[in-house]
Amino acid sequence: MTPRQETIHKWGLYALATLLCCVGQGLVLQYVTVLGVFPFIYPILAAVVSTLEGPLSGMVYSLALGVVCDLTISAPIPCFYTLIFPLSGLLAGTLARKVLSSGFLSAVVTSAAAFVLTGAFHGLIFVFSSRPAWAETASVCGRELALSIPLVLPVYFLFRLVWRKSLENQPTRL
Amino acid sequence: MKDFLKRYGLWVLFATAVIAVGLALLSVFSTTSSPLVNLAQTVTSPFRAAYTAIADWVTDKQNYYEDTTALKAENEELKQQIAKMEAQVRQAQSDSEENKRLRTLMNLREQRRDLSDFEAATITEHSTSNWTSYLTLNRGTEHGVEKNDCVVTESGYLVGVVSEVGTNWCSVLNIIDTDTSLGAQIFRTDDIGVAEGDFSLMGKGRLRLDYLPAGAQLLNGDLVVTSGLGGYYPSGLVIGTVEEVQTDDSGATSYAVLLPSVDFDALSQVFIIKSFDIVD
Repeated sequence: MTPRQETIHKWGLYALATLLCCVGQGLVLQYVTVLGVFPFIYPILAAVVSTLEGPLSGMVYSLALGVVCDLTISAPIPCFYTLIFPLSGLLAGTLARKVLSSGFLSAVVTSAAAFVLTGAFHGLIFVFSSRPAWAETASVCGRELALSIPLVLPVYFLFRLVWRKSLENQPTRL
Repeated sequence: MKDFLKRYGLWVLFATAVIAVGLALLSVFSTTSSPLVNLAQTVTSPFRAAYTAIADWVTDKQNYYEDTTALKAENEELKQQIAKMEAQVRQAQSDSEENKRLRTLMNLREQRRDLSDFEAATITEHSTSNWTSYLTLNRGTEHGVEKNDCVVTESGYLVGVVSEVGTNWCSVLNIIDTDTSLGAQIFRTDDIGVAEGDFSLMGKGRLRLDYLPAGAQLLNGDLVVTSGLGGYYPSGLVIGTVEEVQTDDSGATSYAVLLPSVDFDALSQVFIIKSFDIVD
């Protein structure tokens, strides 16, 4: 396989894994409401892929994911996820490469950061719409984070499987 | 064998004749069965009983197998019949509920002549985010649905306002969503305000009534309806009731917390008001 084919193959598999997670969100997670919120998998996807692939590739993936989310999920502003997910991806990729070592714990930390960033952005939008609700924003963000963070485990291992497979297929360069 | 018959044939014949005569005499003179017959029957009796028992057992087993097979087939058939009947009952229940809703809607039509064109819609999806409150319906532009159309229950309780429309779908922002803002009127006092979604109340399924006139006297349980001012939305659609009156953080103005008349989680079918007459 040429490097170009390899890249296409890897990102095709990432897309399939993402689709699987989207189906899981739509069919199962959305109906598991605990403490008034349900788990939200998308920030975890952005964080995990950016942790594995680094800030640049992660940001591009997160941008695509954000566009998909904005097309399918209602948000306070039309481009909410398109704006926040690349930022989350950039942050996650940078943290994983510069501060933490790329691994499961790093995925947990960056996922939590992605949730906090998303929540903070929601809070900012409420401020701009002259109706600040920081306490409730923090409460929803905290509950959403607590309920969603266990999902890092299956998501991380699913995407790491793809990542490892692509590493195995790469030709050894001397 | 030939020699044997030649040599003893007569003796054998004689012996046979003697035995036959003996048996005949015994049977004539005996009141019960002959002793030889009795002996033979007595000896063979347990074997006969065993044979009969075995035959009965085999017959039982055969019957059991046949019965079981028949019962299984019958059971399968009955299960299918039950499943069909259950499906019919479910359909009947669903039809009955729909019928009830449509009857209530007919009453609403008669009461509200200004609401001329309703479109029944089924909810295909509830909110897919923890930060917004909306519904997705199975009606869109091909059914004449437009942005900002009001969505109500069969009783005329306001659910929300259409925010996005596609060919065969539309999104409805619930009245508790932070992006919703409607002209409202307190039914008892005719005071005008604005019913708005508030994120700190959305989680509790409430919204707030703002911009009330300075001397507004609200009571808990006061009915709040749409004002219809400006002609954007029909007037008189029930938003909810006043739950409590609170003072703003600044302390200068007060607002009311409204309890919507709609249970958003329990909704399955709603009605889109496609057109209405403005009532002065």
